[in-house]
Amino acid sequence: MAIDFGAIAPELVLTATAILVLMVDLVLTDQAKQLANPLSAIGALVALGFTLPLWGDERSTFGGSFVVNDYAVVFKVVFLVSLLAILGISWRYFAESRFFQGEYYFLLLVSFLGMLIMPSARDLLLLFIALETVSLPGFVMAGLRKRDLYSSEAAIKFFLIGVLSVALMLFGISMMYGFTGTTSLSGIAQALGQWGASPPPLLLASLLLIIVGFGFKISAVPFHFWAPDTYAGSPIPVAAMLAVASKTAGFAGLIAVTFIAFEPFAGVWAPALGVLAILTMTLGNLVAMQQRDMVRLLAWSSVAQAGYMLIPFGLAVTGNAEVNEAAVQATIFYIAAYAIPNIGAFGVVVAINRRTGYRSIEDFAGLGGRHPFMAVAMTTFLLSLGGAPPTVGLWAKFAIVQAGAESGTVLAYVLLFFLIVNSVIAFYYYLKVVWVMWMREGREGMAPVTPGVNLSLVTAALVFGTVLLFVLPGLIADTTVSTDLVAGL
Amino acid sequence: MEFLTDNLVTVTLLVPLVGAIVVGLLTESDDSARWVALGASVLALVSSLWLLVGFDPAAGTQAVDSLAWIPTLGSSLTLGVDGISLVLVLLTTFLMPLIVVAAWDHGDRIKGYLAAFLALEAAVIGVFTAQDLLVFYVFFEFTLVPMYFIIGIWGGANRRYAAVKFFLYTLLGGLTMLAAILYLYTAGGATSFAYPDLLQAATSLSLVEQRWLFLAFFVGFAVKVPLFPVHTWLPDAHTEAPTAGSVFLAAIMLKMGGYGFIRYCLTLFPDASRELSLGTGSGFFAVPWMLVLAVIGILYGALVALVQPDIKKLVAYSSVSHMGFVVLGIFALNSTATSAGVVQMVNHGLSTGALFLLIGFLYDRRHTREISAFGGLAKQVPVYAGFFLLVVLSSLALPGLNGFVGEFPVLLGTFQEVPWAAVLGSFGAVLAALYLLWAYQRMFHGPLVGAANESTTDLTAREIGVMVPLVVLIVAIGVYPQPLYDLVEPAVDTVLVGVTQ
Amino acid sequence: MTLIGPLVLAAFLFCVGLYGVMARRNAVLVLISVELMLNAVNINLVAFQNLVWTGDADATGQVFALFVIVVAAAEVGVGLAIVFNMFRNRASINIDDADLMRW
Repeated sequence: MAIDFGAIAPELVLTATAILVLMVDLVLTDQAKQLANPLSAIGALVALGFTLPLWGDERSTFGGSFVVNDYAVVFKVVFLVSLLAILGISWRYFAESRFFQGEYYFLLLVSFLGMLIMPSARDLLLLFIALETVSLPGFVMAGLRKRDLYSSEAAIKFFLIGVLSVALMLFGISMMYGFTGTTSLSGIAQALGQWGASPPPLLLASLLLIIVGFGFKISAVPFHFWAPDTYAGSPIPVAAMLAVASKTAGFAGLIAVTFIAFEPFAGVWAPALGVLAILTMTLGNLVAMQQRDMVRLLAWSSVAQAGYMLIPFGLAVTGNAEVNEAAVQATIFYIAAYAIPNIGAFGVVVAINRRTGYRSIEDFAGLGGRHPFMAVAMTTFLLSLGGAPPTVGLWAKFAIVQAGAESGTVLAYVLLFFLIVNSVIAFYYYLKVVWVMWMREGREGMAPVTPGVNLSLVTAALVFGTVLLFVLPGLIADTTVSTDLVAGL
Repeated sequence: MEFLTDNLVTVTLLVPLVGAIVVGLLTESDDSARWVALGASVLALVSSLWLLVGFDPAAGTQAVDSLAWIPTLGSSLTLGVDGISLVLVLLTTFLMPLIVVAAWDHGDRIKGYLAAFLALEAAVIGVFTAQDLLVFYVFFEFTLVPMYFIIGIWGGANRRYAAVKFFLYTLLGGLTMLAAILYLYTAGGATSFAYPDLLQAATSLSLVEQRWLFLAFFVGFAVKVPLFPVHTWLPDAHTEAPTAGSVFLAAIMLKMGGYGFIRYCLTLFPDASRELSLGTGSGFFAVPWMLVLAVIGILYGALVALVQPDIKKLVAYSSVSHMGFVVLGIFALNSTATSAGVVQMVNHGLSTGALFLLIGFLYDRRHTREISAFGGLAKQVPVYAGFFLLVVLSSLALPGLNGFVGEFPVLLGTFQEVPWAAVLGSFGAVLAALYLLWAYQRMFHGPLVGAANESTTDLTAREIGVMVPLVVLIVAIGVYPQPLYDLVEPAVDTVLVGVTQ
Repeated sequence: MTLIGPLVLAAFLFCVGLYGVMARRNAVLVLISVELMLNAVNINLVAFQNLVWTGDADATGQVFALFVIVVAAAEVGVGLAIVFNMFRNRASINIDDADLMRW
């Protein structure tokens, strides 16, 4: 069996970089350890260089369990760009505090390695491995501030709920294997198709158990308990990674499992995920309204955002390729559009937090006067998360509403109703932050905001991206429109 | 040069936008922000007047500029004007330089203030000229952001509440409209979001679909107008907004709602419109619901204005009442009433804008808006009082001033269609005379008592300079409204042909 | 050998593990319970492979079980480190003590 090395080149590059970073960290001493950051960035860039040429290709290797098509490439690009942005906001943060820099970058790279595999995986075994490769370093990174009570609490909550949900998922997989005799996604779809309209309850149970595993990763209610505490306790760049990249990986897996393997039973999981979407966005927004800590606010808001991303899943219909494609594309568009402002928002929090330890919403008071650039950036990001112009968030909401209108079922209208109501609720608390930044005076003697150079650069780039993609949404839409999930199977 | 004259609509929109960016990039200490803002707004005025010169009322939508934007969705940046768009664009560009001059001495972060207004101007022009529903929606939503900051940063004591309320109300309306636009696009099988294409797509809708979509669009626009049940954000926003913000809000932004009714509700959903505005259906739809809401708005706004102790709030509620006339005219669906509804939008923009400016000038001097705090001012500040009286008379529709030539034909036209609505509406005009003159009397007549009243200074040259153009137009339209009607009527007739057939 | 035996055993193990996760407050015991669940998965996989899908030339079930074993070991390694760290910070491995953050 020949291996298509071109197809797995990005993953290989990232693996090599991870190992290199780990070894370099052994050699370098104190100050020089921060060189692990640019090294990782170079690795990410090279991986990106290997990913982009794969656009338009349809390749498959490892007996069809690893597929590279446009769908996978879009996700990989999102991941690698996120990685670069997260490296940008991580540098000073880790260099200035006494963390384990080399280990952090190694773990980060490994986690992203898992993410790169996720959208290509077409076999439950590979999906499981990818999921664990994303999660395990995540557990450690959440607890990286070893002496910090919050950090260790973040890690233990994340870990216990993580392993529990993986165990549930594996049990589901083992049952699914028993029913179908295969773990390849297309094989499962084929086998499930033969059950027709009356599948045994146990089969449906194992299907839902598998979805639970991903539900945990995307922090959908009721598997969200870990998320706010873990985000709040982790180092802030790690929170950004969990809220954006790790969640995106969860969605990549969930899309593959539901829309490929379980497509014949869309009538079962689509309503279930639709209900989860409603619960997730509503609960996330309602709790986010109560928050005083900025990271927790972003954490709950990212729970709510997962709810919006789940809406298209509720629209799926067995055998209706057109609607399903539209749903997948809407989700991908939303994910890509959401990654930019969300990393940016965490980046601004890092900037405020640096050297001051500020992190409550009150600490943002008067930011418009103290550091106009960061205030403008945060305003743009929050408007984008809410979906107001002039930001790409508008088009993200648009994509979801469009998919809903296209599907036209009763459930779709219910979902859209909740989307609209929730958008209004969400703006209530996004605007609260905007108001604090621009319309409240800062406290006497507040420490100045001193973002590092690369943090400022990354933030500026993300602001630019947020506005540019508003003006030219075609840059994402043209890509997602041409992604055919099933191509190259 | 040729590029400029060929793309006048785009230029009119881009000039303030570029102005906003330039002003935003200036440093806070830089004094030139005011001049840049004034220059940009005057340029936009010039360019829109140029548009007027070359405009042919009989030719329908013209001066169309188009630029491919999102090919996958078939959306393109298409702008153009017909008579209705043009008068509203002119209203915007005419008021904008006055707003900039009125805000000249605004000390607090003037740069951001002016930039927000210029951005707002660009967005509003976009709303009035968009010929593509997606573009329209984007501009419509975009108006929220600068206005939120104008109220939120530069507003009064309760500004946070007012700003958030304004934002959330309008957002809710906007998102509902977006869902309707997308439904129309999908269900009608349209290939693009261009207005003609969607007009075509809308013909395939059933009556029930039309009703629902009408309702969704209606929510979006009714919040803006604002109509009776969803008007509650307006008094808060007006009272808390800074002077220039109130002027822009009342004079220009409310018109987006009226414009939306004519341009989209009536044309896209003609059957539902006819049914809901004239009560031609059966059962629930036998009632002319739009006219009922308009009349409720007229009377409710007037009655509440009557008891306001705060002059700015009084004018805010009078806006609810006056915009009720606009809606009444639009949904009466005959040429007289609907054209007058459009003309009345312009008139309301001029007279309410002028009123808010005057109240702002007084507030700058006295830092209060309580009517009871004033008295006998006519002796102390005769020029101010003169302007105030004239504008009040215009607002209460005295014949010979602009309010009359809008309100009277609205009632006349409505009477031909639904007599009782016109009769009830005319009570609004009576009440307007009552609350406006009563307020005028309390503030300017009677004995001049109190040190504060005795030391109030009259208008400065700059302030007079702001008022004079407004007053000139108020009188000019009142005496000779025909040119305005000539612009509007052909466009309105085009709309009505589709609805009444 | 019939399929029913291993399946009942696996289901039993899984339920015991699930109960342990829910009921135990000691982090190490929770970890052990998770291991029980994973072993139930392994029994399932191997049983299905050998008793139902015997024709599967790739031996998917058994290979999967091997992967599960390896990953489980990694999970325990990471998990024990996290638990150990928590113990050093607050001298307790009761997961109810991890209650600094609510909502």
